[in-house]
Amino acid sequence: MAEFLQALAQGLLIGSTYGLLALGMGLVYGVSGVVNFSHGDFISLGMFLCLALYSALALDPYVSLVITVPLMTVIGGLVYWYLLRPMVGHQFLMVVQLTLGLSLVLQNGILMVFGGQPARTPSVVESKLLILGDVVVRVPHVIAFVVSFAMAIGLYIMLRSTDFGRSIRAVHQNAHAAALMGIDVSRVQTLTFALGIGILAIAAALLLPGTPIQPAQGLRYTVITLIVVALGGMTNFVGIMLGGLIIGLSEAYGTIYLSDTLGMLLPYGIFVLIMLFRPQGLTWSSSR
Amino acid sequence: MLEVDHLVTGYGGVPVLQDVSLTLSAGEIVGLLGANNAGKTTLINSLSGMYAPMSGRIRFEGQDVTAMTPKQRVEIGIIQVPEGRLVFPEMSVRENLLLGGINARARTHRPRQMDHVLELFPRLQERLGQKAGTLSGGEQQMLAIGRALMAEAKLLMLDEPSLGLSPLFVQYIFGIIDRLHAEGLSILLIEQNLNLTLRHAQRCYVLERGKVAVEGASDVVKDDPRTRRAYLGL
Repeated sequence: MAEFLQALAQGLLIGSTYGLLALGMGLVYGVSGVVNFSHGDFISLGMFLCLALYSALALDPYVSLVITVPLMTVIGGLVYWYLLRPMVGHQFLMVVQLTLGLSLVLQNGILMVFGGQPARTPSVVESKLLILGDVVVRVPHVIAFVVSFAMAIGLYIMLRSTDFGRSIRAVHQNAHAAALMGIDVSRVQTLTFALGIGILAIAAALLLPGTPIQPAQGLRYTVITLIVVALGGMTNFVGIMLGGLIIGLSEAYGTIYLSDTLGMLLPYGIFVLIMLFRPQGLTWSSSR
Repeated sequence: MLEVDHLVTGYGGVPVLQDVSLTLSAGEIVGLLGANNAGKTTLINSLSGMYAPMSGRIRFEGQDVTAMTPKQRVEIGIIQVPEGRLVFPEMSVRENLLLGGINARARTHRPRQMDHVLELFPRLQERLGQKAGTLSGGEQQMLAIGRALMAEAKLLMLDEPSLGLSPLFVQYIFGIIDRLHAEGLSILLIEQNLNLTLRHAQRCYVLERGKVAVEGASDVVKDDPRTRRAYLGL
């Protein structure tokens, strides 16, 4: 029973961050139809930036956010404006190839700078534990959970009640009509992509404490994000957060009750099962 | 107020509009008639800046707007109510109206404009919190017009406002158009419905395969045999 609760706690805590990762991808897909296959490599970039800042200035990953969030947001904006924007709306396959290429560039760029051996970025809270009865949770996971849900709620409020948020939803629902309102569609798409990458900088710092990192890890995060987004419905906020929790839970239970390698397969197995029976995703109606 | 000069627009190098010229004075209602595929919607979208013209000029209030983006044109008051209304279906009526007034010029006046629009369309007041996708066709048309008014239109371009509406709603919508005209708004009215347009517009242009076939005061256009011919495609 203790094991069960332990896995439950761990799965929920990590799953919330998976949900946050996927929200960024869902937003970008919603406004520009871009499925970003370099998503996970941008998470990598965020993590390695934290490592670099630790090595150079001994900054804690949480403190590094002050630098990595603006930096990655700007990088995201530039990538969309100069690389993706000319392709968007023409050939979906070209966009896919472009983001795959970007993934290779990021991955090998990181390899070139940091080398291939796994690295760790220490944080002051890294080894702190929170003990609740039989369940032991790591403080970084609790921080990740709280921040992820706070971010998700913040994004939701932003989309509902600001002009920028309404522009994002307008472009998603009908880009042509949005342009007729005087909304600069390319600008909204660029800012949304920048926002999505900025969110990844935060997610990177949340996932970092206690996790060894290496340049080739990006694909794993991309796949997790794609699965979460597919489970939740590309543009469904609640569905995506729910999908994140499901993948987090299946990972946690897989590693506890099955062997290591088999455990890592469990999320994908569950994904295939859900897609077989609910190909439209988890939630009933897509609320945009 | 609006001068379109020898406009040629097309997609993929094939011109759809061939040498179209038209004018509209301040406070006027001008009708733009024509059969399907005559180029009416292409023309209105060129005026909104959705397509770059292949040649020709568009002037608005003395200013050359040919190279302006859609956003810039909204900001100087050229506002389109698109064919099929294109309300944002998953947003409330209120949010749709707020989006209508999102441009830099209108943004700060939104509360005042909203009062004006809701006074014009009391039905929208009742439906403020409802998702636009759940409205009837006629209500969506009200919302689309209201949304355009939120943008503080100087030139209101309506693309097929009667499309798919019951006769009662058509009458209502054209009553609103007459009222807006009486308030001094300049209106470009695109319609397939010949008689309705001739009744409400002061002057009309009839488009036929991307060219102006007939133009003039509504009663002149009405009696011109070429008007019927343009419609029947003879």
